Amino acid sequence: MKTLSRRQFLIDGTGWVAACAAAAALGPFTACGSMAWAQEDISGSVFKGDGPKQVWKWSREGYSYQSLDENRVACLICPNHCVLSPGDRSVCRSKVNVNGKLYSLAYGNPCAIHIDPIEKKPLYHFAPRSTAFSLAAAGCNFRCLNCQNWEISQAKPHEVQHRELFPADVAGSAKQAGCHSIAYTYSEPVTFYEYMLDTAQAAREAGLRNVLISNGYINREPLVDLCRRLDAANINLKAYSDAIYRKLNGGRLAPVLTTLKTLHDQGIHLEITNLVVPTYVDDADLVRRMCAWILKEVGPDHPLHFLRFQPRYRLDRLPQTPVSTLGRFREIAVAEGIRYAYIGNVPHHDGNHTYCHHCRRLLIARAGYHIREVHLNASRCEYCGTAIPGVWA
Amino acid sequence: MKSTNEPRIIAVVIATGIASVVTQLVLIREFLSQFQGNEIVIALILFSWLTLGGLGTLLARPAAGGRLATLQALHWLSLALVLFSTPTLFGARLLRDLVFTRGVSVGFYPTFVYIASITAPYALLIGFLLPLSLFGLRSQRADYPGALVYIWDNIGDVSGGALFSFLVVFWMTPVQAIAAAHLPLLAAALFLQPSGRRPGPARMWPSAAVFLVLVAAVAAEKATLAPSQGELAHYRETRYGRITVVAQQELVTLYQDGAPLLSSQDEASAEEAVHYALAQIEDAKRVLLISAPAGVMEELEKYRLESIDYIEVDPDLTEVLFDFNLLKRIPALRVIHADGRAFLADTSTSYDAILVHLNDPQTFQTNRFFTDRFLSLARSRLSEQGVLGFSMGGFDNYLAEPQRRKLSSIYHTAKAEFSDVLMLPGERVFFICSNRPLQTGIPDLLRRKGISTLSISAYYEGNVTPERISYLRGQMDPAAPPNTELAPYVMRTAFSEWFAKYDSSPLWFMGALACVLGFYFWHASRVEFVLFSTGWVAMGSEILIIFAFQIFFGYIYFQIGLIVTAFLAGLLPGALWGHRRTARARRVLVLSDIALIGLLAATFAAVHAGDRLGQAFYLFLGFTVSFACGLQFPAALRLRGDDGRAATGVFSADLIGAALGTLVTSTILIPFLGITGAIGALMGLKLLSLLIAGTLHENLVAQTISD
Repeated sequence: MKTLSRRQFLIDGTGWVAACAAAAALGPFTACGSMAWAQEDISGSVFKGDGPKQVWKWSREGYSYQSLDENRVACLICPNHCVLSPGDRSVCRSKVNVNGKLYSLAYGNPCAIHIDPIEKKPLYHFAPRSTAFSLAAAGCNFRCLNCQNWEISQAKPHEVQHRELFPADVAGSAKQAGCHSIAYTYSEPVTFYEYMLDTAQAAREAGLRNVLISNGYINREPLVDLCRRLDAANINLKAYSDAIYRKLNGGRLAPVLTTLKTLHDQGIHLEITNLVVPTYVDDADLVRRMCAWILKEVGPDHPLHFLRFQPRYRLDRLPQTPVSTLGRFREIAVAEGIRYAYIGNVPHHDGNHTYCHHCRRLLIARAGYHIREVHLNASRCEYCGTAIPGVWA
Repeated sequence: MKSTNEPRIIAVVIATGIASVVTQLVLIREFLSQFQGNEIVIALILFSWLTLGGLGTLLARPAAGGRLATLQALHWLSLALVLFSTPTLFGARLLRDLVFTRGVSVGFYPTFVYIASITAPYALLIGFLLPLSLFGLRSQRADYPGALVYIWDNIGDVSGGALFSFLVVFWMTPVQAIAAAHLPLLAAALFLQPSGRRPGPARMWPSAAVFLVLVAAVAAEKATLAPSQGELAHYRETRYGRITVVAQQELVTLYQDGAPLLSSQDEASAEEAVHYALAQIEDAKRVLLISAPAGVMEELEKYRLESIDYIEVDPDLTEVLFDFNLLKRIPALRVIHADGRAFLADTSTSYDAILVHLNDPQTFQTNRFFTDRFLSLARSRLSEQGVLGFSMGGFDNYLAEPQRRKLSSIYHTAKAEFSDVLMLPGERVFFICSNRPLQTGIPDLLRRKGISTLSISAYYEGNVTPERISYLRGQMDPAAPPNTELAPYVMRTAFSEWFAKYDSSPLWFMGALACVLGFYFWHASRVEFVLFSTGWVAMGSEILIIFAFQIFFGYIYFQIGLIVTAFLAGLLPGALWGHRRTARARRVLVLSDIALIGLLAATFAAVHAGDRLGQAFYLFLGFTVSFACGLQFPAALRLRGDDGRAATGVFSADLIGAALGTLVTSTILIPFLGITGAIGALMGLKLLSLLIAGTLHENLVAQTISD
């Protein structure tokens, strides 16, 4: 038998090890985008050839897509604008191209269902003390490094345990549970748009309200359609910085701002959250610029929640946000003209309460999800009679 | 006649051993600070180091008898090693935030590539220098035995290990330790002269420049620890890891090994840790805390307790906790510095509540607090109405599969010991265990006791609803096995969870490794395979013996340091003894393989005998395993012909085997096969080695496995 010389073995072996290491190493990097050359933008990409050959029971043909040549389709739901060849799966993991048609694989198969206080969403100016039948299906069009629901947001529909609950059943279950509204939440409802839209319709017919808790990464047209059935929304404006959006979330800022304007224009009750991530989002100038945009484009009446960051998922080597930073940002927001600025994830803080923007008296005292005092007459301040923006019943 | 340079080269070999071991141990701690160490990360660090060392040794092969094998080369490469030492540490520390997004933890492949890239120059050079020293010695004396270099190197390794474990770790910062450990090498390199004369000014200047680099590194160390935000209020390297405290405005955050551990503004952790358990008890008097979250004493003060025993293994940690008011000194408090499990085994006190606050079981050390034996021990130290409380990583809205299996295993393990086990969901899932009925309505229980809380009163009824409690309970998999000492199922699922979190799979790596190994085995000589298996078994045994020791006697720093030292120390007399018996090299290989199989059988007996064998037995076991391993090196060299090619082949086989032994034993064999299976696998490997050793011919120096 011919054997290699030691020198040849060394050369070949070293080259082989290097090649294997490079293949093993670079593959995951490009997939998760965690190395330096990719870290400025962690946006997801289409999963080529990853879709099923046939759709399953929990599928629905997409409501907003465009057919292209060679059986390709373009999803028009969100700004990712995924163009899928047959067999491809979208960035959000929920949409697939099967034989030239776009299908959602997240229809009637929620993987998380809970009954939450509406204050948990957080929605502070919408039906206080009510409960929301909260549900989510798998998938997300972002790649947030601090996602608190990564187990479902960064999963494909077939990878999670789900229940079968079609739109009419959701409305029935919500009513049975005594809920006032249905909240589309936890993962990213834009990725199960078809399910959300039909469920919202069924909920409306059943006398329930619909609440969207979202990153706001949705195109204007499907959002306007949704608004016809929507009552309230909390949009997570993650940072008033496109660079941070790309770096920490894998999305872009502009479409989210468009969503805020659309929701405002459509008359949907809107609240905004801003998670104050240390060393990234805890910048007073950034907050001032964000408030200036909000005031100019959607006005001063939409509650703004500054949420405290907790180390989560992959962004787990940062500290919590100092409570004083949140307090300072709230003061900045109020000074800039935002009428209702709150602090979240900090119990028993003055920033949890609602104060009349006119007379500054305490209107609603909160302790976490509990409401201890209410000083409203219908929707007006008990003391000065000023109308307080919100949906109070 | 002995050349004047011979002792100087020997001094370089010993000094290289000292420097390499100290640097390796310092770098392990540094990488653990950069990559929150689970057992996989720890194994990856050792794997990278040993593999690169082995590769460096192989790369030295062309230097045998060539131009490189000169004293000049040895001098300059030794200086280069000293020069690379502190930048390697700074690279590990400072490049992380440049390479990765600040604040993120990263998965398997980025961790591996980062560690391997940072350590590559130093580890390759370390591996390269050992055979180069041998070639240097042979340039002075042509028949210089390779085994002696192995022996000198071992003397350096043992000295470096002991220096680190019993001196450096107490008194020096990482850069100081590395600088100090390289001074002997700097001095030894300075005196390497082709003519054997004293060094002149031309030689002094480069050495002086390298010395200045070391001094500058020591001076610059503190600046490299500055946090990206806030002020570094405290920094200390302790026996158990790195503690840093960062103050940002009013917030004080304590980091342990680079990850935020406790903060001054985290009422939720303290309230949950205390009240979920104590709310269940009518009249608690005695409480035991095994580690504790910040603010826990204020919560405990709300009960009229007679005594609070607070166990913390690291005295430096408790000092910092009290100094920064993260823990309050209260009258009933007694602070005990001990391993929590060892303390519990020794105490005769009966407690009304035992509250365990530890990280999830991702290492063998923490897994000891989540096993059947620990839960049984805890139960035996509880009063009749007593409650055990502990927690694991939780979830917000959906329980994913690996975590479901992990929690299920712990649930079944606890259920086997306690009649009632309550699981409360949240960011952490709390297990409240007792032999009395438990209640879920914590806020009501606290209201009845007149105890006020900030977080529980605000959030419990929205986060820990009956529906969520029922969801969690309904998710428990009845088929999940219990988490036992000998089969740590939870660690296996924790590894799966870790890979899922980073959306990666170890299969690429394992596939590549299998291919490279297959290729290596096909071309390796039989003797090299025997050495490869010995390196594997040595590291595998060390992991198993330390693991078993911790199970039975606790994490006792000094004793564990002794075991590690015993594992290094046995190599030296083994090699010396083997060196005298090279005439019967094949027999030595066969007999030492038989001895290693016997010692693995003894390890098997030890893990099943519990603490009856005494601590000294484990020291003896470590020593004898390494003695048997040490025996083989001179014999292997003899059989391979003891030329430069043989030396590099045998040195590298040992290192590559050790690298794989570390990685595979700790991350695959023990978690997937359990202790018994892991020992069986090591015995199987050694039986194969014995078969190969038994069929060797005394003079067939390059017989390959495939021949």
